[in-house]
Amino acid sequence: MVFFLQQLVSGISIGSIYALLAVGYALVYSVYNFTNWAFDAFMVTGAFAAFYGISLYAMPFPVAIAFSIVMTVALALVTETVAYRPLRAHNAPRLFMMISAMGASLAVVNIANLAFGGSFRKFPEITAGAYRLGGVSVGRMDLFAAGFACVMLCLLWLFLERTKFGLGVRASALDTVTAGIMGVNNNQVALIIFGISGVLSAVAGVFFGAKYAVYPYLGTVTIKAMIGSIIGGIGSLPGAVLGSLLLGILETMISSYISSVYRDLFSFSILVVMLLFFPSGLMGAKRVVKL
Amino acid sequence: MGYLSTICILSCINITAVLGLAVLTGYTGLFSIGHAGFMAIGAYSSAVLFLELNLPFWLVVPLGGLAAGCSSVIIGYPAFRGLGKLRGDYFAIATLGFSETVRLLLNNTYPHFGGAYGLTGIPPLTSLPVAAGVAVLALLGAHNLMTSQHGKNCVAVGQDEVAAQMMGVNLFTTKLKALFISAAYAGVAGALFGFYMTYLSPGNFGIGLSSDLLAAVVFGGMQSLIGPAVTAFLLVAIPEFLRFLVEWRLIIYGILFVVVMVYRPQGLLGYRDLDFSRFWRAVHGLRGRG
Repeated sequence: MVFFLQQLVSGISIGSIYALLAVGYALVYSVYNFTNWAFDAFMVTGAFAAFYGISLYAMPFPVAIAFSIVMTVALALVTETVAYRPLRAHNAPRLFMMISAMGASLAVVNIANLAFGGSFRKFPEITAGAYRLGGVSVGRMDLFAAGFACVMLCLLWLFLERTKFGLGVRASALDTVTAGIMGVNNNQVALIIFGISGVLSAVAGVFFGAKYAVYPYLGTVTIKAMIGSIIGGIGSLPGAVLGSLLLGILETMISSYISSVYRDLFSFSILVVMLLFFPSGLMGAKRVVKL
Repeated sequence: MGYLSTICILSCINITAVLGLAVLTGYTGLFSIGHAGFMAIGAYSSAVLFLELNLPFWLVVPLGGLAAGCSSVIIGYPAFRGLGKLRGDYFAIATLGFSETVRLLLNNTYPHFGGAYGLTGIPPLTSLPVAAGVAVLALLGAHNLMTSQHGKNCVAVGQDEVAAQMMGVNLFTTKLKALFISAAYAGVAGALFGFYMTYLSPGNFGIGLSSDLLAAVVFGGMQSLIGPAVTAFLLVAIPEFLRFLVEWRLIIYGILFVVVMVYRPQGLLGYRDLDFSRFWRAVHGLRGRG
């Protein structure tokens, strides 16, 4: 039982990092109906900014997080204006946006690889130690990461539900063209959405880097977040959180009870099965094709 | 000569795989980021049939293609049934999931398939004439296919699914056939690859290979066969001559993806194809004038 609870805790801890990224996927998808493949580039930028901020300039951890968020948001906004906005302007098919995003991600990740080298770097220790609760040990850093993710998601929810900008985003998600006619500035909404994605992926990058290591290809984990958002339902924000936590827990259970070699096999099979047989996921809206 | 023939053989194999993807992506408008998985199925099934059952080389290569084609039905049937059930990028993600599943399965299957150690002892049977012959056959086959009724259906589906369906095109069979043919091409290419490298490892068939194939189609152009074929050759040959840029290859690919999508979404030779009639007309025109 203690072993099971221990696995549950590690599952939730990795699931909360997936959740931050998955919410980004869901947010972009809900408005633009395309999968932003550039999240791995955002995440790597976030992790590297925080890592070098701390190790080269001796920034305190909160300052490093802020620095990482600023850098990542800048990259996200540049990507949106350079790679996506021109395509939206001439109504390109969604798939072209996906390819453009793949290009942005390939370029940024490999620039990071070339500029900093492919080695694995250990993130400086922030808070060591663990709390013990009846035999189950909960890492202080894991707890902090999960708490921070929770706060971020609550703030995002408040922003979307309680502010005028959030209303604009929700209106665009419902119908971008009509929202534009009703006076929502679509380019501003795009900047807000990609800004939020930047913040979320920077935080995810920092915590992922702190939990494992900082290396140029750490962004490959974003595909797990995408699987999480698909389990939860394409374009649904609460679904993305639920799906990611579920995926994190299931992955950890499979690694510990069956074998860690089957973990990724399981994740990708669940991706295929969900897409083919339950495309609207756990909480996604059923999309009806109409003429 | 050995070095040059290596480049030529790998180009021919790449061209075969890219032509298959052009049928699916360029003509039918279905993006796949998982064609490496079909290549892996072709490569492993042909090598295992050759090594375990001692079937001849000329038989196992088409069988590899057939195996890849049949495996594509597993994903195509549920994805295409109903009215465009899995659209656009989610089909692409499903193919990615499929190819990663195939790679991870091969990575963990030790009896007969070699698992993570790879499959060794495959004889080097893919010579330049074989690879070139297959590439030429693939080009002619794809060209004939795309000028047939089925090809016209594919183009119609790629342009506008709803309009195509109203004209009486069956979306399900058209898409499934295109996927089957495309996967079979990739399977044949994979089989030739295995018999050229003499060693197969699941690591060869990762996301990198899939995006290389997609890059050739995107740069080469939509609704074109000759464009992707030329690009497939260039993408193998150019990095060989620009060895000093090897670290920059993926960065340049990435930037090119964005630039092509923003400024020239039709690609290098988009919507143009090998059109001998125009060539002959030009020749006749010159002769008439002279």
